[in-house]
Amino acid sequence: MLALSFSRLLLQAFPKQPVTPRATAQCIRSLKTSQQDPPKKDDMPIKMENPYKQPPKTCILCNVIVDFKNVQLLSQFISPHTGRVYGRHITGLCGRKQKEVSKAIKKARSMGFMSVTLKNPQFMKDPDICGIKQFE
Amino acid sequence: MPRYELSVILKAMQRPETAAVLRRTVETLFERGAVVRGLENLGERRLPYNISKHNCLHTHGGYFSVDFHASPNILSGLLDHLERDIDVLRPTVIKKDVEVSKAQCCGLQNEKAKSTSR
Repeated sequence: MLALSFSRLLLQAFPKQPVTPRATAQCIRSLKTSQQDPPKKDDMPIKMENPYKQPPKTCILCNVIVDFKNVQLLSQFISPHTGRVYGRHITGLCGRKQKEVSKAIKKARSMGFMSVTLKNPQFMKDPDICGIKQFE
Repeated sequence: MPRYELSVILKAMQRPETAAVLRRTVETLFERGAVVRGLENLGERRLPYNISKHNCLHTHGGYFSVDFHASPNILSGLLDHLERDIDVLRPTVIKKDVEVSKAQCCGLQNEKAKSTSR
């Protein structure tokens, strides 16, 4: 028993094949860098503005002056059948512009610029902003 | 002095008569101490609805806009005077506000954020 363990010890201490360190890639890299200058900070991310930034979402009347005299513009936000002003969920305008448009339409109606119950036939062929499906 | 805009609809008349009406309107403004900035012709069009004024039904009218500075005291007197004029169908005076700053325009994103946070 003692002899066996002793022989094992001898084998471990003096192996038949000498164990040399294998030249792996990591070993080579570590050898190289240790010889060069200390690591530079070129790997740090460059500070820049987000290149995928989208333009801020605006409503269609952003930076457009809404006037009671501009009947054609106002007529785009009323129903062609009844002349009623469309709500916010249909026009898609922001709060401020929706209020401005609605106020301007009411002003135009009372001042005699715009009709109350109908849409001017001249403006019937204007492009559809509100995207509401009219029952045909 | 605040800035006002007089939008007036005149009866559909011949050119010299329209000119005469506008002349006496502006002269009225001068008499009451207003500083007239400018006069614009918005064209003669078909009225959006029939206007019956001074015992007559009108279907066409000439649209004019007078930009002026005046004291607020004269407005009621001016409107009264214009209402009595036979050739004027609908006089309206509105205050001209200063333009809203564009920087605040379109808080669509802010609105959506507010609505979702509620």
